Amino acid sequence: MILLDRVTKTYGRTTKPALSRISLHVKPREFVILVGTSGAGKSTLLKLLTREEKPTSGKIVVGGIDYDSLKDKHIPLLRRKIGVVFQDFKLLPQRTVYENVAFALEIAGMTNREIKSTVPKVIELVGLSGKEKNFPHELSGGERQRVAIARAVVRQPKILIADEPTGNLDPKHSWDIVRLLEKINHYGTTVLLTTHNVEIVNKLKRRVVTLDHGKITSDQAQGSYRQGKAG
Amino acid sequence: MARKLDAKGFAQQKRSRRRWLTFIRMCRYGINNFSRNAWLTIAATAVMTITLLIVFVTLASRSTLVNSIEEIRDKVDMSVYLKTETPEDTVNVIEEGLRSLGTVTRVDYISPEKARENFAQKNSSDPDTLNALNEAVNKFPGTLRIKLVDINDTEELENFVKTDATLQENIDPDREPSFAGERRSAIQNIAKTVDFADKVGLGASIIFITISSLIVFNTIRMAIFNRKDEIEMMKLIGADKSFIRGPFIVEAVVYGFIAALIATGLGFAMLYSVKGKLLDYGIAVSPTIDFVVTYIGPVLLGMILLGAIIGVVSSLLATRRYLKI
Repeated sequence: MILLDRVTKTYGRTTKPALSRISLHVKPREFVILVGTSGAGKSTLLKLLTREEKPTSGKIVVGGIDYDSLKDKHIPLLRRKIGVVFQDFKLLPQRTVYENVAFALEIAGMTNREIKSTVPKVIELVGLSGKEKNFPHELSGGERQRVAIARAVVRQPKILIADEPTGNLDPKHSWDIVRLLEKINHYGTTVLLTTHNVEIVNKLKRRVVTLDHGKITSDQAQGSYRQGKAG
Repeated sequence: MARKLDAKGFAQQKRSRRRWLTFIRMCRYGINNFSRNAWLTIAATAVMTITLLIVFVTLASRSTLVNSIEEIRDKVDMSVYLKTETPEDTVNVIEEGLRSLGTVTRVDYISPEKARENFAQKNSSDPDTLNALNEAVNKFPGTLRIKLVDINDTEELENFVKTDATLQENIDPDREPSFAGERRSAIQNIAKTVDFADKVGLGASIIFITISSLIVFNTIRMAIFNRKDEIEMMKLIGADKSFIRGPFIVEAVVYGFIAALIATGLGFAMLYSVKGKLLDYGIAVSPTIDFVVTYIGPVLLGMILLGAIIGVVSSLLATRRYLKI
């Protein structure tokens, strides 16, 4: 589903690369947790996947799309196939919960009938039924992240990238979000989660990929969070 | 007959329907943005209104100035005075001669009797003067009022006055023709001032329009800068450039539309309120008001178009830098 082959990314003229010859293979329906300290290269990796950045060298293939042959004008189409959730939610502040979720379908040119039938189901899936008409500022952090997840999955993407989705949340809400991600993964979406939360990593017992200084230092099938030491 | 749709036709129909749907959505979002960002909306609309008002007032002042100039030009005529006893047919001969000149547009003759009548009318409230007038022999000269194509070009007329024999015989020796001497230079001064004012008006219009367009551009740029996170986000969830840009353009058109209505209304009210005062100074606003009233449709349309163009160009330029991949 996600294939990175010896990917290197160097910013500007700095000699130290943000990512150095990373190779990673994520299979369909897999749940992968990406850990690493700030500056380890997690954000760069995710930006490469959403094509906000281009790799300096190496090959990236996501969902059968080779990024080398991807034209700029087709980037929006690629991004519609990947759901992304951010630490700071990135919701449209002027639009209601319903409109935020529907927006993802509107930009894809879905008909109003399709939107009307899909959006309520997804809002129900993330547990926000009854709050469709609220604006983001009227919701709690956990609820806002649910809206963001609903928006990311409403198009039924093959891959969901969650960039520290629990970073701004208290433990209880964090767990709610993680459970929701597990549920989505259960329905067949490949999930790529980055987090700093040791407890979540250790309890989930999923594949853990550790990044350090731009290199993968460990890749365990049922991993736990390793602080400091690589191996 | 039922039209059969092949696969290609069906795909095309679906595409055009999708395009239409997208267009409707962009309009809806634009109008939503407009109504939900109250302060931004007020600020942008206000600046746009001021811009359009400046444009309106500048154009109206120019038009008023031009009208007033026309009126002054019309009023400025040359007078040649004839002896009181000049017979009517001689006057006719002279009139014909003047009319044949290329630089003369119109010749009017005010006979001594008419001049006396006019004078009597002007002083109708003063019985002493009227009595004196009745006693005295009519000494008013006959006056030839001559209008020129260009008040600066008096040479031909002067030559005619100097050389025409019939005119020389009957010209009033006590009263010089009014284009001569000081009066002439006064008339020429007016002409020069009028030309200068016209040019200054045109220059000022261009400068005002440029400055106010820049202000509008900056306001819209700031409005869009405020929402750069939103643009970023739309990009990340896969919105097309045109879909991101569309609502901003629609919004700018709405600003332009509302601002045009307000500015035209305000401008018209201003014209109306200064009409009386300016008339005292000999500046005629009425022709401009009449023009606006007669052509209210095109004027309003022009204002709306101008507002929309300024808005659209500004938002296109302002969103460009945020829309790179």
